[in-house]
Amino acid sequence: MATPTDTQEQSSDGPLQRWTQSAIQNPDKVYRALFYAAMVFFLVTTLFPFYWLIVLAVTPEGNLLSGSFLPTVNLFGVSGTFPLPVPKGFNPGAFVTVFEQVPFHLYMLNSFALAVTTTVIVLFVASLAGYVFGRLRFPGRALLMLGILAISYFPPAAFVIPLFQAFAGNAPITIPFTSIPLFTPPRMLNTPGSMVLPFSALFMPLSIFILTTFYGQIPDGLEDAARVEGTTRLGALFRVIMPLSAPGVATAAVLTFIAVYNEYFFSSIMATSPEAAKWSPIVGGILSYQTQYTTQFNLMAAASIVGVLPVVILVIVAQERIVSGLTSGALKE
Amino acid sequence: MARVRLEHVTKRYDDQGDVVTAVDDMNLDIDHGEFICFVGPSGCGKSTTMETIAGLTIPTEGEIYIGDREVTNLPPKDRGIAMVFQNIALFPHMDVYDNISFGLRLRDYPQDEIDRRVERAADIVQLEGMLNRMPEEMSGGQRQRVAIARAIVREPDVFLMDEPLANLDAKLKVHMRTELQRLHKELDTTIIYVTHDQEEAMTLSDRIAVLDSGQLQQIDPPLTCYNEPDNLFVAGFIGSPSMNFIEGTVTDTALETPNFSLEFNPTSVEGVSAGDDVTLGIRPEDIYPGELKSEVPDPSGLITATTDILEPMGDEIFAYLLLGDGETSMSQELATNDQLLMSIDPDSDLEEDEEIGVVIDRRNVHLFDSATGEAIVHDLIPYEADSTTSGSEVESDD
Repeated sequence: MATPTDTQEQSSDGPLQRWTQSAIQNPDKVYRALFYAAMVFFLVTTLFPFYWLIVLAVTPEGNLLSGSFLPTVNLFGVSGTFPLPVPKGFNPGAFVTVFEQVPFHLYMLNSFALAVTTTVIVLFVASLAGYVFGRLRFPGRALLMLGILAISYFPPAAFVIPLFQAFAGNAPITIPFTSIPLFTPPRMLNTPGSMVLPFSALFMPLSIFILTTFYGQIPDGLEDAARVEGTTRLGALFRVIMPLSAPGVATAAVLTFIAVYNEYFFSSIMATSPEAAKWSPIVGGILSYQTQYTTQFNLMAAASIVGVLPVVILVIVAQERIVSGLTSGALKE
Repeated sequence: MARVRLEHVTKRYDDQGDVVTAVDDMNLDIDHGEFICFVGPSGCGKSTTMETIAGLTIPTEGEIYIGDREVTNLPPKDRGIAMVFQNIALFPHMDVYDNISFGLRLRDYPQDEIDRRVERAADIVQLEGMLNRMPEEMSGGQRQRVAIARAIVREPDVFLMDEPLANLDAKLKVHMRTELQRLHKELDTTIIYVTHDQEEAMTLSDRIAVLDSGQLQQIDPPLTCYNEPDNLFVAGFIGSPSMNFIEGTVTDTALETPNFSLEFNPTSVEGVSAGDDVTLGIRPEDIYPGELKSEVPDPSGLITATTDILEPMGDEIFAYLLLGDGETSMSQELATNDQLLMSIDPDSDLEEDEEIGVVIDRRNVHLFDSATGEAIVHDLIPYEADSTTSGSEVESDD
């Protein structure tokens, strides 16, 4: 089978051979083609779930489970299945019902408050740590840094049981492997503290790592200048080093914010039931549309879209900041 | 009054087990309003010394006083100093106005006072109309002027300048040098200035502090450092091109070097006796072609030499002379016994590889102890001279 095509191409200089020839002479063409192929792949895999959510959200509840989302189209006598799912009916009211059935805005507020608090704590502490690791030389620096990074290698689930015990505040904390009591912690379940504390600890190492890299690159002269001009070391950090590391700070902030905003595992355990008053986050809210007997997929989809909007806005805003920070390249001293 | 005093200031670094002494027992007393230059080669400790005064480095030992206060362990912001950095170090995220007013805003000055001072500082360094620019939009010279404005706006007791002109091109450097002098006249503040460029130090300062390997070699007015260097290091460092050094031995009537002898009476010179090993130092401009012998106050005997390389500078010609058999010595030592550098008149018709006779002005011959490098005398009075006037160690003849 290969022989006839080969001879055919050789004799007539077939299209494949011509294309190969031009690709060899002009490799940019291949790179561009590969770029578009990869681009389309990533766009489809990231955007299709959103499209699917929208389709689900606007489909009236009664139509969800009957029939197919892939409509049959009849074009000029040729009938076939349309390859893209389309909504079965149009019910934008789902986006309102979402707030009527469950106080979803309160869940969003919970997630938002937890994310902002955690981000502020992480940025502050990680800035101090980043300053120390990035700008000071002391024995054991590498080892300490490695230790901090090692925390992030642990699966978070490993911390859940001891943390739950501690935050429950029922029994005193004991020295490991003994029964000698140290102190009885306050009860923190169902409060933001029981979530912000573990989140801060878990997301800190990544931020420390990012900020260490950025703070380490700020020239010493600028810090010296700030200190001579009248700041303390801490003042120089927050007035000069941090603003000049804006891209790094923004990256650390966005990553922390999104991670906490989307977090469910810890908060579903630290909030003993998925109620807004118990600081249950967005995912807890979305899951409340599922009851023992019904699952309102359209509302869950609508709530997911609403819940994702703040993050989308944040990323768009922060991305501009990151890009502007990277392109200005003002760090020549 | 901002007098700056350093007492036994020592700074040692621990470099992976090795102790490096960057500043070794430094004692300095700088008067109010004085312009002092720290000068020395790289790694001589001049920047570290300045950093200890600024408070960016805490000395291992010793005390630092600014005015009447001991400031050894105070943070930089509480010392009443302002500093101009070698890398200029403007804050890239602030415009010129914010850069200049940074220190004032930190100290909560009222807005109209800040405006007034920024205006005046910008006026002094000629930056009017540029207050809204960002540092990246400015040229090197303009940035340097912003840095200076940032320093003067705070009206500090002491200015510290760490090689502020090092990154500027040659022409701008000379221009900024005069501006700095004008500034010093206008402000009447103590200025401590670090440079590795001896020419900058000579032209700017009231006194030069010459540093080497963390130790103070000499602190004196520029011309004293030039005419009466305390030791071989200062003699070689101050002056461009640097002094010729030739090793020799003192006999009863002369100084014998491998290639020539210089007649003088050792008994008339304090600190020298026959048999001593000394190093002779003579500046290029104190060597004359033989035909000018009659114009030299205390000429030596004629020394034969061969011209090697001529470097015309426009206003003078530097002639490298080979003594003795004319073989070039490639030795890297300070004393290159068979080479002499002479500065001659630009109209001279001297050519390369020509045999000539030169004379040395014995009034400007420096003698150094070969073993310690310490200066012994700065002029050799000819032995015919009246012995009562001889032996003076510090006869300045500039």
